[in-house]
Amino acid sequence: MRMRAGTGMAIIASVLLAGCATSGPKFSEMTATMSPTKPDLGRIYFYRTTVLGAAVQPGVRLNGEVVGKAVPNGFFYVDSPAGNYQVSTETEVERKLTFTLEAGQVRYVRLNISMGFFVGHVYGELVEEAKGQEEIADLHYTGGPKTP
Amino acid sequence: MIVSKRFLGVLSLVASLVGSCAPVVVQEPTQLTPAIGKSFRLTQAAEAALTTGYSTTLRANTTWQLVGTVPQGEVYRTRDQIVTLEGAHIHEGYIVVDQGALVGFYLPVERTFSPVTPPKRLSTAP
Repeated sequence: MRMRAGTGMAIIASVLLAGCATSGPKFSEMTATMSPTKPDLGRIYFYRTTVLGAAVQPGVRLNGEVVGKAVPNGFFYVDSPAGNYQVSTETEVERKLTFTLEAGQVRYVRLNISMGFFVGHVYGELVEEAKGQEEIADLHYTGGPKTP
Repeated sequence: MIVSKRFLGVLSLVASLVGSCAPVVVQEPTQLTPAIGKSFRLTQAAEAALTTGYSTTLRANTTWQLVGTVPQGEVYRTRDQIVTLEGAHIHEGYIVVDQGALVGFYLPVERTFSPVTPPKRLSTAP
């Protein structure tokens, strides 16, 4: 009986850990092969560093269109024309981030999690380039480039 | 287990209150007239308290370029730091300066003005 309980615990633990694992190459491994941004576009990196609230992985919308998911330890990017952008995620509540993007500009949006009533809230925060580059280096790629 | 509709209603209300407890950033419509040709350096950091309970810090030794004017003052932006206004949502902002004081922020996406009350005196150099 003790063996069964132990086995059960091990299975649960492995399932939980598997849920936290993020596959895909690391940013630092991808940079050499990553296509450069076209001159008339800017690039927005989205990333989530924390595994806190790993089960909460809402879709990330850019100007209303889903461009990826807020996967713990993951990142993805979108190349877009210069203009005004709104990032939103939806859990219990919708929290938006608005910013501008210029041609050739690179923006970093960190997907943070804060405490909610039933589930955590995931929201985007604009991060400076140096900080973004540092934080994204060991994260895993979770999507493909998209142009909304 | 029987859960009353009233209990569920109260629970939903509490959830929505908790979820949206941060106030929205105060904004008023404004009109930006583009302009260029002026700049200044901030010699001392300045912290502006927002009505949302958050604050925004302008760092020392950042250089600010004029991008336009609004009725409330001159609008400057910098490439030395990111300026955001945080409340229920987060907005990128440019600073609005009038007679050497930070009087508010211009939100370029929303095209609105968010006041800082009282205005914050800035220490600047050309």
